[in-house]
Order: sequence, then structure tokens, then C-alpha cells
Amino acid sequence: MDFVLSQLAGFGHAFWALVIDPVTYLYLVASVFLGIAFGALPGLTATLAVTILTGFFGNKIPLDYALIALLGAYVGAIYGGSYPSILLNIPGTAASAATAMDGHPLAKAGRGGEALGLTTTASFIGTVIGTFALLIFVWVLLLISKSIASPEKALLALFGILLSGTLMSEDLVIKGWIAGLIGLAMAMVGLDPLLSEPRYTFGWSYLMSGFQVVPVLMGAFAVPQIIEGLRHVEMGQLAELKGRILPNWQAMRRYLPTITRSGVIGTGVGALPGVGEDVAGWVSYGVGKTVSKEGHKFGKGSIEGLLSSETANNACIGGALIPLLVLGIPGSPPAAALMGAFKINNVIPGPTIDPEIILRVVAILVLASFTMFIMGLFTARIFIRILKIPQTIFLPVVMVLTAIGSFSVGGGINDLYLMLGVGFVAYFMNLMKYPIAPLVIGVILGSLFDETFRRSLFLSDGDLSVFVSRPGAAILVALNLALILSQLPVAKRAFARMKGKIA
Amino acid sequence: MTTQSHETAVLRARDFWASLVLIALSLFFLWKTSAIPLFGENRAGVSGADWYTSAALVPLGIFGGLLILSCVLLAIAIRSGGAAHALSAVGIGWDRAEALRFTTIAVMLFFYIAGLVPRVDFILASGLLITAMIFGYHGGHARRALLSAAMVALAGGYALIAHGPQAEWNAHSDDWLTLVCWLGLTLPVLRAARQERALRIVPVLAFFAPFILVCAMAFGFRQNVPARGGLIFKQIEYHYYVTLRPLWKD
Repeated sequence: MDFVLSQLAGFGHAFWALVIDPVTYLYLVASVFLGIAFGALPGLTATLAVTILTGFFGNKIPLDYALIALLGAYVGAIYGGSYPSILLNIPGTAASAATAMDGHPLAKAGRGGEALGLTTTASFIGTVIGTFALLIFVWVLLLISKSIASPEKALLALFGILLSGTLMSEDLVIKGWIAGLIGLAMAMVGLDPLLSEPRYTFGWSYLMSGFQVVPVLMGAFAVPQIIEGLRHVEMGQLAELKGRILPNWQAMRRYLPTITRSGVIGTGVGALPGVGEDVAGWVSYGVGKTVSKEGHKFGKGSIEGLLSSETANNACIGGALIPLLVLGIPGSPPAAALMGAFKINNVIPGPTIDPEIILRVVAILVLASFTMFIMGLFTARIFIRILKIPQTIFLPVVMVLTAIGSFSVGGGINDLYLMLGVGFVAYFMNLMKYPIAPLVIGVILGSLFDETFRRSLFLSDGDLSVFVSRPGAAILVALNLALILSQLPVAKRAFARMKGKIA
Repeated sequence: MTTQSHETAVLRARDFWASLVLIALSLFFLWKTSAIPLFGENRAGVSGADWYTSAALVPLGIFGGLLILSCVLLAIAIRSGGAAHALSAVGIGWDRAEALRFTTIAVMLFFYIAGLVPRVDFILASGLLITAMIFGYHGGHARRALLSAAMVALAGGYALIAHGPQAEWNAHSDDWLTLVCWLGLTLPVLRAARQERALRIVPVLAFFAPFILVCAMAFGFRQNVPARGGLIFKQIEYHYYVTLRPLWKD
């Protein structure tokens, strides 16, 4: 209990420091607004919002303010996706796909205002639940992570890439792993971290320092989105918004167990490396449908269904930051973009991170969720107007934003070539249903994996048992092996037989 | 064939080609990796590191793994009929319209990034791109997309050919040509805007979006911006430092 109280005191101090700084509000209001607008526009995503802002604010303003801008946009964008889900039946972001299942039927029934009020409140509560979990668990894990050495770090990085590849694949799991390996391969370019041996530079001096994170992020997340979105799409019929957008406290009280459960699920899913808000929303929706007495109403305008997905996708934000801050492994694609911002500011997330940064992140998340809640209630009609802008109008501007953001990070014109190359590759990978998140996580974690894997072997004089002789490493080896073996056809058949017997 | 099974068939045909490309790439990079010393070779009389710290160790694992996974993917694609589809009907599942859409976007992006951004004033280059992309894809008219791509290719191609080396990037003939292309494309935009209200905003958006961005980046964040010596930006920068800044600096 003392531990929790001391954490809350530390958080209170960081929160107060933020609240009394007037510059905070400048970045916070602008970034949350921008985030909601990005989320509300179908074709733009939360990952894209954080990525583009990383290009703009990543290393141009002090990290404290950059974090306000990036986290504000992250929270806003995940929430903003609910607008088109409810009013157009088109998810603004993948995270709010499950929200459309019940949100749109509610809007069609003339309860759009109520649905938006509920999602605003649920998103706020979800973010606070995830943030509270971040505040507590990050410290517990940080204590454990002090005993993490090179073998565990290497195995954790590998586990993050494999798990992300497994869970993010829409088609074959093997495609997620291939994407992760391509990301790892990209991270091998440049001088190697131990011996400074040049690898795959092809005589181009720009490649000596390896692939830069921001152009890769821009290429992987922005360019495919722009290519895919530049097509004529008939705008759907916007459901008429009836009623005021107000929080329905009665419904909130009634569905408090659902909100709590969804918050916990969202945080848990977010804490899994590389698994984003979309998975959190669907998992929570699925669980809600199974356990709820009103499960049969899900998909037909159920308030419980709406709350299940919308609470979970925002709770996922806090969860996704846990592995990022403790282990340096991003918990979701937007968290990967956030890691890019840390990296270009020379902050290495992981066991050695400055505890002040964690407290500040928590304080920013709470303040951002407040801002999002207030904006959601009072400025919703502005975002509804934004919904009407066709994507063929705003995507070319996003392309220009991406180009100048990527150029200004430091590498100049070569960064733009890299961005474009990665962008075309990522577009074709999307087309062939390869997930992009494992690729980005591979690029980010590649040098960590390379360095820690070889350092482990160096310290043990090439003895491979170093990866099983420590309990933590042995558990991680077992997890990595289990993950790979579980995808073998023999294992899959055995699982299916077991499931059949249990049923 | 149902829609879903058709989609799976197209996907497996794509997987077939992708796995072949991945196998070729894995083999190429395994060959490149063989040039990195693995077993403590001597280099210029200095003994290299042991195998377990060699810079080749992890890349060997990665490209070896990629090769194995690509072979597995190839096997899956062949077993699911991907090879038959791939060889019989090109098999990437694109129709003519989609191929045209992608090609024109790729042309625009290539000439914008490789030709215009380094050499031509950022406001002019981006104004042309924004106008071309909105005009080309709003409403889904194939001929408009072709015209837009041709305009960007003309401006970008000229910049690449006429002022290829970095020493010539400050020359202005490509800036003027880009301006002409931009204005030339704005005329049909304005004509089409009579029927399509959304296009009315294009000239304003195409000028002010890059103008605000480049000024914010250069004077707000004090960052490097592309083509500092560009036709318009050069004037903006001059007047910012010579005319405007002294107003509050003094």
C-alpha cells in the first residue's frame, strides 16, 4: 500500500508541474484536437498521427513538450475513430472497427448523440484505467527488470517481434514472422554495434549510420495509407445527430462492471508487444458478447457492446506504454512511433529510463484524457464537420507533411529516398496481407537484439547455454519456442483435437 | 468461385511470386554476408573476432531464417494452387484501372521526391503535387490522373535531367517550369470546380499548406528545409531576416 501511495504522490507532483505550466495547454489542446481530427478522418490513423508529429516535434522542441504533443495526439486519435464508426459506419481507425458494430445502429435509431456521449465517457475512463495500470505495473516490472541482462534482452526482443508477427497477421502467421525478419534485416544495415564492421552499405556513406527510424516510420505507415486512400470513394450517408452529446451517468453506473472488465482487457492486450488497439477492441467486444446477459443484442445497437470496445481501445494506450517504458519494446504501432521520438532524443526506454519521464508520461496521459473528454463533449460538432472532407482532398497535404517532417529530422534528402522506398515496399506488403507493425518493431529492436545476443555469447565465450542457464532467459527461450512450435501443423491439429474433446 | 475463395486464390498467387522474390533476396544477402569475416579471419595482419562476436552471426541467422520461411511460404502457395494461378493469369489481382491508379501515384511520388523536392522551391513543388493529386484522384477520372502524372513527371523529369548534380540544385529554370506546370494544371481544376464544389479549395490549399509548413519549419522550429535557395522561399527568407525580424529584434 505504501508503494501505491508513494507512486500516487510522485504522480501528483508531476501532474502539478504540468498543470501550472501554461505552455502545456498550448501543446495539449492543439495535439488532442489534431489527434481527434486524424482519428475522425477515415484514411488517417492514430499511428499516422503519432508518426507525423514525431517528424515535426520529435527533436525540435524539448522532450517534455514533445511527449505532450505525441501522447495528446495518440489519445485523441484513438477516441476520434469512434465518430465515423458511429455516424458513417466506417471505422476512422482500425481501433474503432468494433465500435461501429453497435454505434451505427444506435445512430440510425436516432441515438447518435447518446452513443457519442457514451464513447466519450468510456474512452476517458478507459484511458484512466490504462494509465493507472501503467503507473503501478511499470514500477513493479522495473524492479524485476533490474535483473535483466543481455541474454534476457535479446530473447525479449525476439519474443516481441515473434509475438507481434503472430498476433498481427491477418492471413498466415508466417507472413508476420517474415515481416519481422525483414525489419530485423533492415536494422543490420550500417556499422555493427560491437566491431564497427560495415554491413550492406554498398559503398553509400549515408547507410553507414543505418536506417533512421523516422523515415522508416513515415514510409511504413504514411506512404501506403496515402497510396491506398487516393481513390474515389462515395461518402456514406452521415447519420443525423439527434440529442445533445452528454455523458449518460446512469448507463455508466449500470455498466460499471463492463467498463472495468473492458479496461482490464484493453490494458492487458496493450501490454502484449506490438499488438494494437484494434485487437484490444475486438477481444473486449468478443469477451463482452460471450459473458454478457445481453450478448444476443450485440451488433444491434447494444450500449454494452459499444462500451466494451471503446473502453478497451483507449485503455490499450496505457497498456502499450508498459513494455515500451520498461523493456524498450513497443506495445502497439503508435507506441513504436513514440519509441522513434525517444530514440531521436537519445532517450533509451527500458530498465535504465529516468523515472521522472515515466511519471511525466502518466501525468500527460491523465491530462490528455481530460482534454479529450472536454473536447468530445463541447466541440464534437466541429469533428462531425471534418468527417465530410473527402480523403482525396486531405491526403495530398498529408504527403507534403510527411515529406517535410521526414526531411527535417536530420538525414536530408537521403531520408526522403529511404521513406519512399520503404513506403512502396510497405504498400505491396499491405497488399499481400503482411502486417507492417512487426517490420517496424524489427527495425527498432534489431540493433538491440544484435548487440545483446552477441554480447551474451561474448561473455560466455561462445557457450550457448547462457540462454538457458538463467531462470529468466530459460523462461523466455521456452516462450519463444512455444510460440514457434504452436504454429506447426502438428501442434495445431493437437490443439484442435483437445478443443474438440473439451467441447 | 465465391468471392472469398477468389480472394484467397489471388492472395496465394501473390504469395507465390513474393516467396520467389524473398528467396532470391535471402540468397543474395547470404552471399553478401559471406564477405563479412565469421571465423576470426586475419585482416591486414590483425586477427578478427571469434565466430560468436562476428558481425556476420546475426545477419546469417536472419537471412537463413528468411530463406526457410520463404520456402515454407512457397510450399503453402504451391499446395493451395498459387503457382497455377500465378502462371495462368499473371495473378496479382489488379485490374487495368487499379494498375493505372497505382502507376500514376508512383510516378508522381517518384518525381516529387527524387526530382522536385531537392531542386525546386518547396512551395512550388508541393503546390504542384497537391493540385495534381487532388485533381487526379478526386472523382476517379482516369484521364485526369494521367494528365496530373504527366505534369509532375514533366517538371520533375526536367529538374532531374537539367540540374542533376547537387552543384546545380540552386538553378531556377526548373522552378519556373514547375510554376508553369502548376498554373497550367490549375486551369482545368478551376474549370472542373464549376461542377465539383470540393475542387474550389484546391488553389488556396495548394499554396497555403506548403507555405505555412515550410515557414513553420524554417522560422518556428528553426530546422533545415528542402531547396532553401528556391524561387519563393529565398525571397521569404530574405524578407524575414532583413525586413521583418528587425522589427521585433530591435
